Amino acid sequence: MKAVWTIWKKEMRVYAVSPLAYVFLGAFLFLSGLFFYLGVTLTGEASLRVLLANLAVTQLFVLPMLTMRHFAEERRQGTLELLFTAPVPIGAIVIGKWLSSVTLCVLMLAGTVVFPVILSYYGDPDWGVMITSYLGLAAVACGFSAAGLFASSLTDDQVAAGLLGIVMLLPFWLVNQAEALLPEDWAEGARKIGVLVHLDSFQRGVIDSSDVLYFFGFTFIFLFLTFRSLESRRWR
Amino acid sequence: MYNDVFMVEALGISKSYGPTLALDGVSFSVERGEIVGFLGPNGAGKTTTMRILTGYLPASGGQAKIAGFDVFDHPMEVKRRVGYLPETPPLYPELSVGEYLAFVGELRGLSGKECRLKVGAVMERVGLVGWERRVLGSLSKGYRQRVGLAQALVHDPPVLILDEPTSGLDPTQMVGIRSLIQELAATHTVILSTHVLSEVEILCPRAVVIGRGRVLATGTLDALRSRAKRGSWTLLEARGVQAVQLGSAAGVQQVEPLPDSDGWSCFRVLSAGDVRAVLVALVHAAGGQVRAVESKLPSLEEAFIDIVGEEGVTRGSAA
Repeated sequence: MKAVWTIWKKEMRVYAVSPLAYVFLGAFLFLSGLFFYLGVTLTGEASLRVLLANLAVTQLFVLPMLTMRHFAEERRQGTLELLFTAPVPIGAIVIGKWLSSVTLCVLMLAGTVVFPVILSYYGDPDWGVMITSYLGLAAVACGFSAAGLFASSLTDDQVAAGLLGIVMLLPFWLVNQAEALLPEDWAEGARKIGVLVHLDSFQRGVIDSSDVLYFFGFTFIFLFLTFRSLESRRWR
Repeated sequence: MYNDVFMVEALGISKSYGPTLALDGVSFSVERGEIVGFLGPNGAGKTTTMRILTGYLPASGGQAKIAGFDVFDHPMEVKRRVGYLPETPPLYPELSVGEYLAFVGELRGLSGKECRLKVGAVMERVGLVGWERRVLGSLSKGYRQRVGLAQALVHDPPVLILDEPTSGLDPTQMVGIRSLIQELAATHTVILSTHVLSEVEILCPRAVVIGRGRVLATGTLDALRSRAKRGSWTLLEARGVQAVQLGSAAGVQQVEPLPDSDGWSCFRVLSAGDVRAVLVALVHAAGGQVRAVESKLPSLEEAFIDIVGEEGVTRGSAA
């Protein structure tokens, strides 16, 4: 437990001093500003529906970029040897790193809270929906970070890890976008794999246990795969 | 079961990467408080052996033990007792020296005040006082190596495993790191790999020579030297004596005349043991004079080349 905290602190420190995190933070806030403006002007509603729906997609591209460093860079600069020869379980290293990326993403999301605050001056937004929407996005952050971490554990090239992470996540998004193109017999099953379906109820103000379970499972599976891939690398 | 004498034991360790056999039954042991040099040409398996001893890589066969704990069965016990400096110091370029050492300390189970104290102590020990705010990415090679060493020492482990601690350093830095290692040897068990043989002469009373994944020789440096095929030789500068006369002396194998210097005849005398006294007596008996007599033992380099070369020859003829 203490090791998780130690790793988390170090990762947050590295984020704080590396330009990459700021670039993505800036890009994320710029895009969310754009979505907010377009959403409000196009629909004429005092709601964040457009912004929040688009943020999930933005996360799909941003999170693998934030997690790509984690294991790829440790391996390249030889510090993985330090981590793996320290009396710390691999699981603690994985969790610590994952939590640091989730933390950063939550901080980014917190930066977008300025938009509902602006809205509340001009209209009467539904705060309940707003809160569940943000919880949904946080759940997405958990899952996508885990997937990005897994991609990073597979290679020692950061850029390859980032792209691989995006490629791994794309199907979870596209499957809901392209439902009509799928053969009918498995369209229904495929639909349920998609992230957007499960995010949808959060954005309607409902927290459904099956959606919570979906994100929990998504995160757990990718964290477990990360753990196994790191463990198996040491065996080869 | 815990043998108190041996801090490090390698019992027939082998390691294969796919079809290539990197280590083939490596066995040696290191006693508590000993400092042992790990010698071998590049690619001999030094780093692989060290990685297995530290628990970074699992062995494909055999057993490794640190302080009586099996590396495979009790990795945590082993890792707590080992300080490891990999070939390239494992540094995060973004962190400062102080942040980095505190991180490593915490990672190795220190906390709060104890961690701060130990980091302070280790920085003093390796000569990093006043450097805690410097960012690791901006350090010179010598200072990176110092931080690497500090990292291995911060939790005060009884066993130190150092993979080429002086590689890439300038002569002054080398002397600094060596004297530090010598200091540490008083209180730690040290395994140190290198291909700089003079380093072993200075630091290690005993060495393990490894080549092509096997232990080729173990023993004190004198024992290793005696494995050199070439015997010792003596340089003699004298007057009034002939090469033939010298050749008749006991123990002398061969006499090679060298060019005269200022009217003194020079000889290179190959022999089984030290024949200096015999030669001087012989020259005097012949009514001659001696200006200089100097004995040369085979160097560790020569011994090393012979030991590693022997292996090459036997392998070659077997193939």
